Amino acid sequence: MTAQTLVQAEAVTARPGRARRQPHATTSAWLFIAPFGLFYLLFLVWPVVYMFISSFYDTTLVRSGFGNFIGFENYRQMLTSPEFWSALWHTIQFTLYTVPPLVILAFVFAVLANRVGRGQTLFRLAFFLPFVLPSAAIALIWSFIYTPESGLWNSFQSLLGVAEPTPVLASPTLAMIGIAVTTLWWTIGFNFILYLAGLQDIPRELYEAAAVDGASQWQQIRSITIPLLSRTTTLVVLLQIIAGLKIFDQVFLMTEGGPGQATRVLLLLVTDTAFTDYRVGAASAASVLLFIVILMVTLVRQVVQRGQDRREA
Amino acid sequence: MRATHLGDVPSAQRTVSRRAVLRGGLGAAAALGLAGGLSGCGTALSAGVAGTELDPGTVTYWNLFGGGDGARMLTMLDTYRTTHPNPLEAATFTWGNPYYTKVSLATLGGAPPDVAIAHLTRQTNLSEADLLTEITDDMLALVGLKPSDFSPKPWEAQKVDGRTYAIPFDLHPFVLYFNVDVCDKAGLLDASGKLKPIQGTDQWEAALTAAKEVTGAYGAAVATIDEPSTPWRWFQTLYSQQGGPPWLADGGQKLSYDRDLTLKTLAYLRSLTESGLMPENTDYAGSQTLMFTGKSGFYLQGEWEITTAQEVEGLEFGMVPVPTLFDQPATQADSHTFVLPRMERDEPQVLRAMEFIKSMLDQSLAWAEGGHIPAYLPTLQSPEYKELKPQADYTASADTVVFDAPAWYSGSGSTFERVVGAQIGLVQQGLASPEAALESIHSQLQAYADTKSPLL
Amino acid sequence: MSTETVERVRRRPRNGVSAAAPAAPDHIVGAGTSDRAFTVVAWVVLVFCAVLWLIPSLWAVKTSLTSNSTSAVGAGPILTDWSLTLDSYTTLLSEGDLWNWYLASAITSVMTVLLVVVFASMAAYALSRLRFRGRRIVFALVIGGILIPPQVLIVPIFQELNAMGLLNTYWAVIFPQVAAVIAVFVFKQFFDGLPRDFEEAARIDGAGFWRIYRSVVLPLSRPVIGAISIITFVDVWNNLILPLFVLSNPKLMTIPVGLATVQGSFGQRLSDIQASAILGALPLVILFLIFQRRIVEGVAGSGLKG
Repeated sequence: MTAQTLVQAEAVTARPGRARRQPHATTSAWLFIAPFGLFYLLFLVWPVVYMFISSFYDTTLVRSGFGNFIGFENYRQMLTSPEFWSALWHTIQFTLYTVPPLVILAFVFAVLANRVGRGQTLFRLAFFLPFVLPSAAIALIWSFIYTPESGLWNSFQSLLGVAEPTPVLASPTLAMIGIAVTTLWWTIGFNFILYLAGLQDIPRELYEAAAVDGASQWQQIRSITIPLLSRTTTLVVLLQIIAGLKIFDQVFLMTEGGPGQATRVLLLLVTDTAFTDYRVGAASAASVLLFIVILMVTLVRQVVQRGQDRREA
Repeated sequence: MRATHLGDVPSAQRTVSRRAVLRGGLGAAAALGLAGGLSGCGTALSAGVAGTELDPGTVTYWNLFGGGDGARMLTMLDTYRTTHPNPLEAATFTWGNPYYTKVSLATLGGAPPDVAIAHLTRQTNLSEADLLTEITDDMLALVGLKPSDFSPKPWEAQKVDGRTYAIPFDLHPFVLYFNVDVCDKAGLLDASGKLKPIQGTDQWEAALTAAKEVTGAYGAAVATIDEPSTPWRWFQTLYSQQGGPPWLADGGQKLSYDRDLTLKTLAYLRSLTESGLMPENTDYAGSQTLMFTGKSGFYLQGEWEITTAQEVEGLEFGMVPVPTLFDQPATQADSHTFVLPRMERDEPQVLRAMEFIKSMLDQSLAWAEGGHIPAYLPTLQSPEYKELKPQADYTASADTVVFDAPAWYSGSGSTFERVVGAQIGLVQQGLASPEAALESIHSQLQAYADTKSPLL
Repeated sequence: MSTETVERVRRRPRNGVSAAAPAAPDHIVGAGTSDRAFTVVAWVVLVFCAVLWLIPSLWAVKTSLTSNSTSAVGAGPILTDWSLTLDSYTTLLSEGDLWNWYLASAITSVMTVLLVVVFASMAAYALSRLRFRGRRIVFALVIGGILIPPQVLIVPIFQELNAMGLLNTYWAVIFPQVAAVIAVFVFKQFFDGLPRDFEEAARIDGAGFWRIYRSVVLPLSRPVIGAISIITFVDVWNNLILPLFVLSNPKLMTIPVGLATVQGSFGQRLSDIQASAILGALPLVILFLIFQRRIVEGVAGSGLKG
């Protein structure tokens, strides 16, 4: 929802009768806002400002102050470094691997669960429980499953007759897939719940009318369910994309960007540059670039939702 | 990242009762109380809330020793505990960059360990970054130590601007392991069961060929994949044996390697794997398993794998310095040192830290049993150490060690190793020509060389 | 099926969401065998997938109840060895820093919840009820704040906490997470929906804004306070990237950071590692089981609003 929409909404409620009763209270208001405002300024606004400023300096972790002004040097160096682009690619790769399954599978599960009707609590438990677990816990659980040769996955493959099961996290091609599967297991519950709620919102009459018209279950899903859930789907897709761009936890915990650099994502590059190489200025430049990418997707989300709101109105 | 934080998306209606929230809150408080009641949590609580000193009177010690080294260190720490009344808090972190990042951040944040392990090649960076406390002769004297108690090579190498910031604990060079059984059958052992000296590439290749005939697989094995450090160490050893200049100069601002020599060495490494004398594709574990199971006569790695080898049932093996294949003897090595991260220390604290280090040094023999060459001369020159087998056979390599060139992006487990080692591995696997690999190394390293050092 | 029908039905007022359980199953038994088959297939697929989803957690639990030596051998022995032991748990609960991690997580989570609930609701009250100069700007800032992803700011936040001397204290973890703009937004929406009669009455009686806020608005806000509390608690408990870099000492680490370092330092103690994962997640699992319905309803409700 945009600021504009909300402000318009407020204008509607501020009808003449009400306005008279709303007290004008600038000082009190600012006092109420002050505590939160302080944290907002200190820990949201200032870091953004710092990030932008230090991206133009050669700020280093082990010396105080911003350092020397170097203009766009950090950006130039980042944008011409293969490490940056491969980190960007890995981030996008992760997003590509996770968004479709997280959306489609969650939808399928929700539709099936809705159709089946009973046992919802059980399904909800099974799919949503992983979501409340800390990333560190699920990383330990899945790293263990992926243990080369003796872990559950490789052992299972051996059982099926695979001669030499490839170790997942040590293989440059499989590592990202392994992390994506873990993420799928971990977070599908959230989308599942969203879809379930959206499904329950679809009036039964629509299905009844369609059944009377002779539509099969499959056709019902195709012409009623999917279109009516388009809002939820848009929301889910955009949220997932943004989450994918911000990925850090699983990669750090399970592969640390390895093997080699095969799974190194942008946020990992940022923290390595800042905290291992001590180069805060360069890391800030990379952060700004990542920030811009995420911002663009978020704005797309706002625009799309505003379009949907308008269409529904 | 999860799909979203639970609170990423605004919500409208909730129906949680106040009672439920209170229940949760009480539960949390109860857990807090319970936890706070247990010993040790008191100082954590006050440290976390008010920034008071964590564990006063304790020695905190961080290291990066896993595996066999880790187990050995734990036993040594137990010995320290029996002889010292003050508590000891030891923590182990993942080897390489994660460990050094942790130490750096802890020091910056004002809560570093009292004593930490650091590779000699990494501690130069830590001291340049002002993260270490200088160790003066007076501090050494507190526990009866002096500079002349240590091997001169690592002692001189650790100095920054003529000042001491690290106390060398050991030297860990790259060495040659050999399978006694295979080498015997290949006629490579002399009458007393020792390996006949190998000098020059011809004798080396002859030995490998003979071994290969016995094993039916390989003559010697060294890791080539999934592991940038080993290819670098193997390369650096042979490169230095030809008198190659350091790879980096001016603190890493200049790439000063000899191009022709590098290409020649890379080509030689490739010829060994191409001819089948050495495997093209083998990882760290695989390369040692080859030798352990008799599929390879020789194995090249750091001396620390001695513990793993000793645990293999029925394996008889020996260790010698890497043979001089070229003009002069040389071995790639690094050294583990003790450093004191920068923090406010009062005299008792300094004394405790030094006493801990002294206790470790006194146990150098136990540490040497894990394969490392002591840097502490009283142990190195002791009869007990000279009797350690097979350690005594490769002690000579301590005289010919070559450390990695200092740079902010260099050292054990560093970006330099990662970049160069990966390419060397590709050459060994036949996936890149020496020229292409060097091209790639040069452009990657040049980017770092051009970047201003963040330590200044 | 005409679009008119669809539109007419859609414009009917939506009921409140209840994701707990639908009043009646939504499936329409229509044409007979194909629908029945569909339902059977649906059941099979769902049950299969649900079981699949439970396997990793169950595997972790089983391993944690096996001895370290058996676990080190491989998956087969873990599966077949049914001599369960609590050794891993007793080790973790008696040695090591687990209790310190619980302490750190508990303190940081509870403290952040308290600060967020109080400060965010105060700000939201002002935005909802009070007319003041700059109100639109503030609200725009709130909306804008939602756009900023906090993880991307890890580097400047570290530098700032360092400059403030707060590194290696719980506050380094608490303070940055108090700026939870979403909470302000949620509170405001809730307040907007509250009827103002009580407040009007109180004003007529001469009560000041603070009094009204504390004695009228807050008591009516239990639902939203509960929801924000739970969400914030879980988010802070599970946060990894912030405490990872601002807390260095093992004694001060929160659960996620502690678990992250465990993998490196435990070596081959595989059962212990799995047990630590379970113990680390346990408080949240318990929380989830108690507040299951509310959490799910909250998530579901958020979807509607978009």
